[in-house]
Amino acid sequence: MKICQVEKTLVATSRIGQLGTRRLLVVRERESASKQVAVDPVGCKEGDWVIVVGSSAARSAAGSNDYPSDFTIVGIIDYWEDESKGVKKPAK
Amino acid sequence: MNIQRVVRNLVTTKRHFWLTTQSLRVVENASGKLEVALDPIGCKPGDFVITVEGTAARLATDNPQITTDLTIGGIIDHWSEDDW
Repeated sequence: MKICQVEKTLVATSRIGQLGTRRLLVVRERESASKQVAVDPVGCKEGDWVIVVGSSAARSAAGSNDYPSDFTIVGIIDYWEDESKGVKKPAK
Repeated sequence: MNIQRVVRNLVTTKRHFWLTTQSLRVVENASGKLEVALDPIGCKPGDFVITVEGTAARLATDNPQITTDLTIGGIIDHWSEDDW
């Protein structure tokens, strides 16, 4: 599982049917500049630190083994003080 | 899932049976690395898209037997190069 911070909601109107109407969020892994997209079955806000699962666990976590997700949020971290430098903190 | 940009179409006439007749697109990521993704939606060059990788890429197609490890899942409504 990876520790990521939620950046914002991603709007993609034109999408494959299998993705359904699930919420998609742009997340950034800690100590990394690259952004990824995660399915959010939990309900996160911008700036939340979350734990995210990959591979086939991501499909189960999204609700079904047939759901085409490779990155799904499984929890919001109650308290996380990020000690890494150079990571942009989102505006509160 | 990753955010990538469609660069152009890819034509492969002679292909594996289980690749079927699905459209292929060349996509690039933020660092410019090129990959080939299956496109079940119908994207234009320049579109920013979400791509699904791994086993989920096969489930993102009409038929899970299709042999792909990267499939376009949706076109992002609002995204620019600065957001990347």
